[in-house]
Amino acid sequence: MGRAVEASRAPALEARTYRPLRFGRLRELVERESVFSWLVLTPPLLFLLLFLGYPFFYGVYLSFFRREVTGPATFVGFGNFVTLANDPIFWQSVGNTVKFTGAATILKAIGGLGMALVMNQNFKFKAITRAMLLLPFIVPTVLSTVAWQWIYDPGLGLFNRLLVESGLTKTGFSWLGSPTMAMISVIIVNTWRGLPFFGISILAGLQTIPVEQHESATIDGAGTWDRFRHVTLPSLLPVILIVTTFSVILTFFDFQLVYVLTGGGPANSTHLMATYAYSLSMGAGQMGLGSAVALSMVPVLGLLLVLLTWYVRKD
Amino acid sequence: MTRPETSRTGRREFLKIAAGAAGAAAATGPWISRNAQAKPTTIVFARESSYVKNFDEHFQKVLIPAYLKATGIKIDYQIQAAGGSAVPQLVSMVENKSGADLAWVQQEWLYRDALVDVSDIAEAVGKEQGGWYDEIKLLSVDNGKWKSVPQANIGQLMVYRKDWFDEAGIKQFPDTWDEFLEAGIKLKAKGHPYGMSMGHGFADNYSWLYPLLWSHGVTVMDKAGKKVALDSSETAKCVEYVKRLYKEACIEDCIGWLDPHNNKAFLTSQISCTNNAYSIMVSAKRDLPDMGKVIEHGLNPKGPHGRFHALVPVTHGVFAYGPDPQAAKDFLRWIMDPKQYRPWISSGDMYFAPYLHAFDKYPDWDIEPRVKPFQKVLETGKLTSWPAPANRAHGAVINRWIVIDMFTKACTGTPTKTAIAEAVTQIKQIYG
Amino acid sequence: MVGELTWRKRLLGLWVPLSLFYVVALFPFTWMAATSLKTNAELYDPKANPLSIHHPSLVHYISLLQETNFLTWVGNTMLVAVVATGISLLLGTMLAYPLARMRFRGAPLLAITVAVTYLVPQSLLFVPMADLIGRLKLGNTLSAVMLTYPTLLVPFIAWLLMGYFKTVPKELEEQALIDGASRWRAMTRVILPLCMPGFISAGIFAFTLAQNEFLYALLFLSRSEVRTVPIGVVGELIRGDAFYWGQLMAGALLGSVPVALIYSFFVKYYVAGLTAGAVKG
Repeated sequence: MGRAVEASRAPALEARTYRPLRFGRLRELVERESVFSWLVLTPPLLFLLLFLGYPFFYGVYLSFFRREVTGPATFVGFGNFVTLANDPIFWQSVGNTVKFTGAATILKAIGGLGMALVMNQNFKFKAITRAMLLLPFIVPTVLSTVAWQWIYDPGLGLFNRLLVESGLTKTGFSWLGSPTMAMISVIIVNTWRGLPFFGISILAGLQTIPVEQHESATIDGAGTWDRFRHVTLPSLLPVILIVTTFSVILTFFDFQLVYVLTGGGPANSTHLMATYAYSLSMGAGQMGLGSAVALSMVPVLGLLLVLLTWYVRKD
Repeated sequence: MTRPETSRTGRREFLKIAAGAAGAAAATGPWISRNAQAKPTTIVFARESSYVKNFDEHFQKVLIPAYLKATGIKIDYQIQAAGGSAVPQLVSMVENKSGADLAWVQQEWLYRDALVDVSDIAEAVGKEQGGWYDEIKLLSVDNGKWKSVPQANIGQLMVYRKDWFDEAGIKQFPDTWDEFLEAGIKLKAKGHPYGMSMGHGFADNYSWLYPLLWSHGVTVMDKAGKKVALDSSETAKCVEYVKRLYKEACIEDCIGWLDPHNNKAFLTSQISCTNNAYSIMVSAKRDLPDMGKVIEHGLNPKGPHGRFHALVPVTHGVFAYGPDPQAAKDFLRWIMDPKQYRPWISSGDMYFAPYLHAFDKYPDWDIEPRVKPFQKVLETGKLTSWPAPANRAHGAVINRWIVIDMFTKACTGTPTKTAIAEAVTQIKQIYG
Repeated sequence: MVGELTWRKRLLGLWVPLSLFYVVALFPFTWMAATSLKTNAELYDPKANPLSIHHPSLVHYISLLQETNFLTWVGNTMLVAVVATGISLLLGTMLAYPLARMRFRGAPLLAITVAVTYLVPQSLLFVPMADLIGRLKLGNTLSAVMLTYPTLLVPFIAWLLMGYFKTVPKELEEQALIDGASRWRAMTRVILPLCMPGFISAGIFAFTLAQNEFLYALLFLSRSEVRTVPIGVVGELIRGDAFYWGQLMAGALLGSVPVALIYSFFVKYYVAGLTAGAVKG
């Protein structure tokens, strides 16, 4: 594949001569690989240091202080973390975030794989299909979530209307009312949103598997399922891993969906760490505590990612 | 990268262009922040968007031009999103010492230190307009000094479908909580359940759950705000009551309802009663006239210890960080002057009810008879912190929905004793 | 017989699942469209079919365009997304290129540091970020979000681009250097132009994240004229406790149109870019 890429891109580069450069001591210095690298790296690193580094260190710093809005910052060491360790809502949010991320990611990966396999065939409206099926991912989350509020309405919502009118259930479900259903509803919306991202990315990966590999496998007598397991899946693994990692990170940090759909309720059953951190800092004005919740997200996410990589590498 | 400093006129040009064309054509305008000027020619006033559009419009179309004419100062009216994002923005402003000059200072207990003393305004207004309701002083007065000037109360009452209540044989709105439950059971049996909000909202849940507790003699904290008063036998009775109400009289969904959900459920004919401001009636009158005719308002039922309502205060405060707090104070004094204040209140159809006794007999109360009951809210209304001081710790309890979740946890399976114990532990931890 | 088999296979293997995906992906949009075209009276009618419209009306679209700053918000959102994406691509390239193609001391440590930045949640940053923006006096300006969005985008873009840059053979660069080019020229004239699909792919991903961002916009942009679509729509179409559903849905649909159009042009590059970058990465 690499060779094919080269060949198509190389022709434009034949025999070009460049204007001779004026070589001075400075120029020689800059041309050294390490100096050049660091020069190029400097602007982005400075930017990140200011806009990412400073807030990050300040955020970490805050989590070790008791800091209420307009109040002074008093050092409390691990006090905030101790408070959180004894806070049932905190632990609920941790559990919710893990459940939410785990379930949604698995559903998105499977659904995305399915979507990619289907789309990998030849049919007429392929281009427009790709664009249409990406729509859930493109539309700003807040806007589609507002629509989902209505879709989940117990009386007029699409789901319950379909369920009741088709005779499957008598009154439909309380999608946003019961704690279990609320979490399921939130997972559904996130899956709906993210599935196309998985689908299109895995499709890209599928399209790079050389046809010869499939052909030789068929000649060797492999059936469709065997081919899938031994040819397709292994080649797809890198793509799936990358896309899944991105998705796990973004889903773990997700804020908007729950903020708009349930506000964390009912009874904190959908409170995620991100929404809890927000409501502590900006709602209750306890910024140190809120930062502590946010900081706690990092090790939990790290653990999830380690588990993910380990699980995938196992195969 | 240097950015050109544009003057205010440059910004006004931008606003005109941007109204029609895509933002790309106006790249210079929004890049520049407000210049700090020696004498302010603009005062920024932030308020959450009002349900009654006319109220905001009166402010924008009548008051702002009038002030401009009188003093040459333009008021920049920043409408903040409803639904809980006003407080984070206010917190952000206070922390960064930049933003609005004065605002509807929601949850002011979080940042009272950042507000200037407005006692002179409040005392003058109180004197000229009949005196303040005592209850609101618990919010606006801190250590003897007024930190905010109360503008009005958003009344919350029981909103119900008179036609469905009549059909079920309930001719008068239930007077006691027990009658309220019985009526609900009858109505749910007929397919018209109640929808009592119990989710993570800020008004429609507090406006009936706290009065329920108060009418049974239960408060969250004691008067000094030092001891937790929630653990009492009456609390268990209230929790059991809510469990029964939820299971036997309410729609299942309402346990997760934020403030707008009961409006939607009512307007789509799914519930027969909820606790709300009179926005539901207004929406119905406008969009569903037939329903509008059969909506009525009822007072909160009474318990053994009386009848209570919850206050939803609108107060205005001036930020100390502003370039010219005195100018902001002058403006605040001006809008509270009866000449400006009365027409403004009238434009809101008494949705915003002043905390001043001069308005007790205000003729506007009689325009729509179904609005008149909201007057009673001022008489029997208490702040959610009652009887304790409205301070930061109280704010933490409100914003973490500790008492609300005590009820919802019980409704979803947690044993009553456990739910109460957990709530008490959390409150104790917050108050320290 | 063979013909029948393939026809059935195609039906089950392609058309049925494809239609399923179409329905699942698009049904909320049909509902959004239906709602935006119904009058309030029909909308609140409990007996009405959610998807059918009896008296279609453009009243919500008209009031959205006339009574709110919707078009301004769309313009702001596009401007912010384009600028933030541009800044992020520039910085991302400068970050990814040396890490992907050069050897220098400190490279592994730097790579790990960059990787770790993906794990920093916005939830930890928003309080200090608000402080920073306040100090720089950028509150209520589009610059506030144009400068803060890259902090979310650069880590991901750098990662995507690194994978893509690695696929360009070293020989090309070496050849250019032999021919007398400076490293800078080799980078900008030779290698980077070959990576256009990668840039487009990363750019689209960044653009999507940028125009979807909510938290920073919520905290920094409170004046109506500087708002972006997500917070403008949610902020001003919800008054008190009333959702203006019809206008909200109209706004949601109209707000998606420009982005969907852009996507339809670029989606094939997006796929091509991911192909090389992700697979090799």
